[in-house]
Amino acid sequence: MKGMKNFFREYTVFIVCALLMVVPSITSQYVFYVFERGVQNAFLVIGLVILIGYSGMMTLGSAAHLAIGGYAYGIYCLLGLPPVLSAAIAVATATLLGTLLAFPAFKLSGPFLVVTTVGFGEITRILILNLQSLTGGAYGLSGYPVVSQAMQKYLYYGMVALLLLVILAVRRLGRSRIGLALKAVRQDQVAAEVMGVHIKRAKVAAYALSSLLAGLSGVFLANLTGYLSPDSFTGSESATYLLMTVMGGMSNPTGAAVSSVGITALPEVLRFLYSSRLMVYSLALLIYIRVKWGRKRRVALVKPSAQGAPKPKGGES
Amino acid sequence: MLQLVLNGLANGVLYALPALGISLIWNASGQFNFAQSDLLTLGGYIMFTLFGTLKIPYVPAFLLTVAVMGGVGYFLSWVYFYPMLEARVNPQIIMIGTVALSVFIRNFILVVWSSTPQRYRNVFGSRALQFGELFVMPHVLWIIGIVAALLILLQYFLRGTMMGTAMRSVAQRPAAAWLMGIRNNRMISITFMMSTAIAAVAGILIAPINTLSPSMGSTMGAKVMAAVLIGGLGSFSGALVGGILVGVSEILFSAFISSAYRDVFVFGLLVLFLIFRPGGIFKADISEKI
Repeated sequence: MKGMKNFFREYTVFIVCALLMVVPSITSQYVFYVFERGVQNAFLVIGLVILIGYSGMMTLGSAAHLAIGGYAYGIYCLLGLPPVLSAAIAVATATLLGTLLAFPAFKLSGPFLVVTTVGFGEITRILILNLQSLTGGAYGLSGYPVVSQAMQKYLYYGMVALLLLVILAVRRLGRSRIGLALKAVRQDQVAAEVMGVHIKRAKVAAYALSSLLAGLSGVFLANLTGYLSPDSFTGSESATYLLMTVMGGMSNPTGAAVSSVGITALPEVLRFLYSSRLMVYSLALLIYIRVKWGRKRRVALVKPSAQGAPKPKGGES
Repeated sequence: MLQLVLNGLANGVLYALPALGISLIWNASGQFNFAQSDLLTLGGYIMFTLFGTLKIPYVPAFLLTVAVMGGVGYFLSWVYFYPMLEARVNPQIIMIGTVALSVFIRNFILVVWSSTPQRYRNVFGSRALQFGELFVMPHVLWIIGIVAALLILLQYFLRGTMMGTAMRSVAQRPAAAWLMGIRNNRMISITFMMSTAIAAVAGILIAPINTLSPSMGSTMGAKVMAAVLIGGLGSFSGALVGGILVGVSEILFSAFISSAYRDVFVFGLLVLFLIFRPGGIFKADISEKI
C-alpha cells in the first residue's frame, strides 16, 4: 500500500502531463487557449515554488518578472531580431533583472522584503506605462511576430514537454545540495550560515532560477496573446500567483503546476464562478491555511518576537 | 508651494491612519497585515452605501461605518489571527493569509459594488476658502482636524486608560501580561478592532480626494506600506511622520518634476531608507511600542 502511494507521488507528474497532452484534441478552441494560459502560468508558479516554497522569501512582485520577460521578447522582436533569438535574450534579460532583487534580499527579511518586492512590481508597471516609445504605454504592445495559429498546437505540446522537464528538474533541485541549502536558509538563516551554507550565493541562485522561469513564462505569454498591456501585470496578479503557489502546496512543483492550470481553467468550466472566482479562491485559501496550521490548540501564550522581524521557526517544513 | 504642502498633508495623514493600524497590529501580534488598505477601501464602500445610497445623514453614517468596520476587525482576529498566533504558526504563513485576505476583500468589493469607480457627495463643501494668497478646500482642513483629534484621542486611550495600558503591556511582554491577569486574546482582538476602525475613518475621509474603486487598496496599499517602513514599523509617531513624508513629498514631486513617476519616487525613497536606515525614522524601542 505504501509502495503504491509512493509510486503515485513519484509519477503523478507524468499522469498530469499526459492528461495535458490530450487536452487540445478533446476541447474547443477557447478552452484550449485557457489551458495554454494555465500551462504558461505554471512556469511562473514553479519559479515561485523555488523562491517561496524552498527558500522562504516571500514575493509580491512576480507579475513584474513576467512582464519583463514578455515585454523584452516583444521589444527585441520589434527591433528586428529573429523570434527565437529574441526569446532567448528576453529570458536572459528577465533573469538578469530579476536577480538584482536578490541584493535587497541579503539584508531584508519578512515584511521588509515583501514590501520591497511590491515596490519592484509597482516601479516596473509604472515604467512600462510611461516609457511609451518603447513599450506602447497604456495602449499595450502588439505587432510583434507570434507563433501562427496552425503552430499553436505544437507550441502547446512543446510547452507541456518543457513543463515536465522543469518539474522533474525542480524536484531534483529540491533534493540537491543547493535545494537543501535553500531550505536550510528558510528554516533558520543563522544556523544555516553556521553550517557552512553560502547564504548570498543560495539567495542569488533562488532569484535567478525563479526569474528565469518567470521570463520563460513571459515569453510564452507574449506568444499566446499577441498583445501585452500593463493592466495584466498589477499587484493583484502577483497576489493571484502567490495563491496558486500556496494552493499547490508551497514546495511541491507538481502541485504548483496542477493548481495553476486548475485555477486558470476552473472558472471557464464553472461559468457562474467567473466574476467571483478570486473571491472564492482566496476564501478557500484562508480556510485552508486556518484549518491546516491553526488547528493545534495549546494553552499557549501569544509570543511575538520582542523586536524586529520575527524569525520563521518550525511550522511548515 | 504652501498650498501644495497643505494638500500633501491631507493626503499624508490619510496614509498615516492605515499605517498606524499596521504598526498597532505589528506591536500586538508581530504580524504584518497586508489587508489594511483593503479594509480601508471596504470602509469607504460601506460609507458609500450608507451615506450615498441609503441617504443616512453624514455623522450617524460615519459612526455606523466605523462601528461596522470595528466589528469586522474583531471578527477577523477572533476567527483567524488569534488562533493562528496561539498555534504558533510560522509568521510567513500568517502573512500569506493576510495577502489572501486582501485579495478576498478586493474581490468581495468587486462582486458587491462592481468595478465602476464610485464617489459620494463631498459634505465639506466644494467652495475653496481663501486665506490671503492661499486657496484651501474645506475638506483639507477637516481631514487634518479630524485625524489630529483622532490621534490625540488614541494617544490618550493608550497612555491614560487602564485598557490602553493593558494593551501596551501585551505588546511588550505577552507572557508577563498574561500572568498579571490580562486576557491577551481579548487585547489582541481589541487592537485589531481599533486598527480596522482607524482604517475605516481614512476610507471615509478619502472620498473627496479620491474616487472609490476596488483596486484602490493595491495602489494606496503600496504607498501605505512604504510609509510604515519609512516611518519605522511599530512606532506611533513613525507612522504619522512616514505618512506625511510620503504624502507631501509625493505631491511636491508630481508638481515640480513629473507626476507620472511619483510612485517610482516613493519607492526610491523607501529603498534609500531600507539601505541607509532600515529601521525607519523612528526605530521603535520596547518602551515606545504602540
